[in-house]
Amino acid sequence: MVSSAGEPQILLHPRSRVVNILPSAVLQELILAVGSEWVISDPDRLLVYEADAQTAQKLAPQAVVLPSDTEEVSRVARVLHRHGVPIVPRGAGTGLSGGALAIEGGVVVGTSRMNRILEVDPENRRAVVQCGVLNTDLSAAAAPFGLHYAPDPSSQTACTIGGNVAENSGGPHCLKYGVTSRYITGLRVVLPDGETVWLGGQAREAPSFDLVGLFVGSEGCFGLATEVEVALVPVPEATRTLLAIFETLGDATRAVTSIISVGLLPAALEIVDQNTIKAVEASIFAAGYPTDAGAALVVEFDGIDAGLELEAEEAARCCEVAGARGVRRAESEEERLALWKGRKKAFGAMGRLAPDLLVQDATVPRSRLTEVLARISEVAERYDIQVANVFHAGDGNLHPNIVFDRRDPDETRRVEDASKEIMRICVDAGGTITGEHGVGADKRKYMPLVFSPQELEVLRGVRGVFDPEGLCNPGKVVPELEGGR
Amino acid sequence: MRHQIRSLLGTMVAPEALVPDGELECWRTGQGQQGLPAAVLAPSTEEELARVLARASEEGWRVLPAGLGRWLEGGGPSDVSVVVSTRRMQEVHEYEPANLTFTAGAGLSFSGLRKTTEPHGQWLPLDPPGGLVGSLGAAVALGIGGPLRHLYGTPRDHVLGLTLVAGDGRILRWGGRVVKNVAGFDVTRLSVGSWGSLGVVTSISARLFPIPEAEVTLIIQGGKVSVLLPLARAMALSSLPLAAVELLDPLELKGSGLAEVGAEPAGPGLVLRLLGSHAQVEEMEARVRSDLSHEVGSLQRLEGETSRAFHETLNGWEEGADLVARLCLLPSELGTLLDEAEEVRDLVSKASSPPGAGMRLSAHVGAGVLRVAVPKLPEGDGGLDPWVSSLRSLRARLEERGGSLTLSSGPSALLREVGAWGAAGEEKALMAGLKAEFDPQGILAPGRLGL
Ligand SMILES: Cc1cc2nc3c(=O)[nH]c(=O)nc-3n(C[C@H](O)[C@H](O)[C@H](O)COP(=O)(O)OP(=O)(O)OC[C@H]3O[C@@H](n4cnc5c(N)ncnc54)[C@H](O)[C@@H]3O)c2cc1C
Ligand SMILES: Cc1cc2nc3c(=O)[nH]c(=O)nc-3n(C[C@H](O)[C@H](O)[C@H](O)COP(=O)(O)OP(=O)(O)OC[C@H]3O[C@@H](n4cnc5c(N)ncnc54)[C@H](O)[C@@H]3O)c2cc1C
Repeated sequence: MVSSAGEPQILLHPRSRVVNILPSAVLQELILAVGSEWVISDPDRLLVYEADAQTAQKLAPQAVVLPSDTEEVSRVARVLHRHGVPIVPRGAGTGLSGGALAIEGGVVVGTSRMNRILEVDPENRRAVVQCGVLNTDLSAAAAPFGLHYAPDPSSQTACTIGGNVAENSGGPHCLKYGVTSRYITGLRVVLPDGETVWLGGQAREAPSFDLVGLFVGSEGCFGLATEVEVALVPVPEATRTLLAIFETLGDATRAVTSIISVGLLPAALEIVDQNTIKAVEASIFAAGYPTDAGAALVVEFDGIDAGLELEAEEAARCCEVAGARGVRRAESEEERLALWKGRKKAFGAMGRLAPDLLVQDATVPRSRLTEVLARISEVAERYDIQVANVFHAGDGNLHPNIVFDRRDPDETRRVEDASKEIMRICVDAGGTITGEHGVGADKRKYMPLVFSPQELEVLRGVRGVFDPEGLCNPGKVVPELEGGR
Repeated sequence: MRHQIRSLLGTMVAPEALVPDGELECWRTGQGQQGLPAAVLAPSTEEELARVLARASEEGWRVLPAGLGRWLEGGGPSDVSVVVSTRRMQEVHEYEPANLTFTAGAGLSFSGLRKTTEPHGQWLPLDPPGGLVGSLGAAVALGIGGPLRHLYGTPRDHVLGLTLVAGDGRILRWGGRVVKNVAGFDVTRLSVGSWGSLGVVTSISARLFPIPEAEVTLIIQGGKVSVLLPLARAMALSSLPLAAVELLDPLELKGSGLAEVGAEPAGPGLVLRLLGSHAQVEEMEARVRSDLSHEVGSLQRLEGETSRAFHETLNGWEEGADLVARLCLLPSELGTLLDEAEEVRDLVSKASSPPGAGMRLSAHVGAGVLRVAVPKLPEGDGGLDPWVSSLRSLRARLEERGGSLTLSSGPSALLREVGAWGAAGEEKALMAGLKAEFDPQGILAPGRLGL
């Protein structure tokens, strides 16, 4: 469509709000807002932004803007809001649910330039950072004070604090320390209309709702968090790390259940299964895990040195009683890293098993792990697909990942059906459809498994409070009503 | 009107759900005739409660959610038509020791929960003011923790899911009983600390922890609060995982038996609570003692059951005070908060003899929260005037520095003049939007949080 002035017009898809072409007036205003250097509209360069780490879905945005601070984000938001163009926040693009994709078109606002650490305040164990700061960079900045930022997603060297906030990310050590939301105390947010608000703040507990808690996990649908106040914790003085090798996955999960129920509180309890071990050992990341083992369990304790030894011994006993073939102890930091290697590199190695990897993420009560995993393996057999499990066992957070080849339509269909069944199994066991990766675009279809229509309506309403026009990361989290909304 | 409300409700709920007239006095929300609700309901099911709230929304009745009714005057409003209590929702719906989680009715008391979980060596490490007799639902609705927040956090860190009956009667379930859950927006966290202004919390799922093997409390005394403050700060910032770091002035506590262990009840005290395995507690104690060696006048030690009992009395700290105020700044500014509290002491001095008698301070050192309790406020015309202006300017100064002042409890006249709440600031519009989403007719606890 071309208007009389010869300007390309926004083409609105009748149902969803797909923007096909960005009017050049909008582009001009964006350039005014952040400078031409930081507006990307060249289709080749836009390809970098067509997917996140879950590559099943690909769609390039109309443009990408890279602002440097809150003020610039606010200007960009105002421009897009005025023109009714969707705005999609994006951190490092390591997300695993398609959250940073402009699936209804629009402009991606990348936070890669907003990578300044604004304040490290050891007296109050807090820091204030721009949203684009990488997770490990924050901990590095706190390290001179003996502090660190506790949530440690396996992607922590690459992902941003803003992305962590939006997904409420977890990590291996969240078993003891808790996930992102426990550590976020204040947020500067640019709302979809360009208004800036400060939510929460460590010095100001009380007289308001926990809007920070609500914003954490909002998957980019409530606006863009530009500055984040976090709570820091002391770096543990000592650690004890064990690697237990089991004949079967069931033995490993029984060990986990037993460690938890005897009253131990490890910092981490992580499992990789046989398919994952094989993948890791066949890759450049080979960690020396025995490839004939059914599963390997990493157990770590941390804190003050006193008492750790006894706890580690008790955990080792739990493993042995559950049938461990052997339990290895790390005697040095190098050995500790070696024991962790097979777990940490699991995702990277899996990518090499087959062209495509469907990363799943569900949580079940910890007491049901053994039973649920047995049912998942039964599903895999029935659909003749290959599932590789690598997961935060102590939290009951499963990643039954499926390796497959998208070019094979029959296999792809089986993968779809199997993953739906796996979700159902987890929900029926008292669990949920995502523990840490978020709903994003691809798990919206599962939302009715855990929410009633009335609750979904409330979720839409809550989103509407932040984003009445529905312009902020549309097409994510909450499924649309029949007929579109 | 009062009569009409009562008879209407009588047709909607089971007779047992209607609290008898004779007991209404126990459910006062304020002084005078206005402070007496027309009806108090204790439904036994969510559906029964939902019907009542839907009707109340239609009629525009002012409704106050309640637990067991021990602290209804805090936070206002002081005049409501109907109080709905979770008193008859005390069932433990699910308790799976191997999963370290439970689900229970919001009216269950902390002591009731303890009876269920203690035999399995598990506990919910929350110690809100008012103690074990309060309901879980109230602590969750207020989002309030106590001294243990230093190690364990507040209800927002423990609650995994809850059922909320919204202002218009919708029954909404959020979260679940798994410890990690990011499906949908986090309405569970929004509900925790929403002070009953979005809905009535009727059931709660939360995570439990193993009961620590060993417990020791160290009480450090010697000199004024200003002398203990640097020590308190150093302890709060130590790398030891202390369970609680509290500064009290005076230390005196009714029924705590402190004098028997040699403490000086009239003076201030720094209280450290150590929890963990025997080896950990022993190590922490040794390190605390070596850090302290030169600096203290005296050190008392409580252990095991005695220590636990002491912390339970600590919990009743402000019982009976005319005014309880809560001052917050960053933890490093606790000294400023203590200075500010001296102004309050001046006011107390003018009204009492001996000067300053009876004022009590208690600080969560690691959190930057100072609670001030004034036992007796002046009565009669004009007596409160200097308090009104002092508290207003105190609030302005704290807000200026990014902090807050809330009046947890106090005489209606004072609360009306000063307001229990400070400014919600930039968050106000979003809060109002959310309130309208859950409680479209605005019937629940009107005025709370400035809404
Ligand atoms: C190998 C690998 C391992 C992983 N391991 C873990 C793990 O252990 N635990 C875990 O939880 N996750 C894990 N992830 C997933 C992912 O790393 C996290 O979800 C991470 O938090 C995403 O951060 P990001 O900066 O890459 O965000 P992106 O992928 O760019 O964006 C994610 C979402 O956040 C929104 N967003 C980004 N920045 C902002 C902002 N400033 N304001 C508002 N919204 C914003 C986006 O719109 C999008 O919806 C892993 C991913 C990979 C590839
Ligand atoms: C001496 C004393 C001092 C206290 N000081 C403070 C304080 O400074 N700050 C503070 O926050 N709390 C304070 N409390 C409250 C306390 O922390 C507990 O929450 C309370 O004692 C629980 O008792 P209850 O079940 O009788 O609650 P109630 O007295 O019945 O209710 C307490 C409050 O919680 C709300 N509420 C209760 N249940 C629900 C529910 N299911 N859904 C929604 N809202 C609900 C009520 O509206 C009311 O505002 C104090 C209590 C006492 C006894």
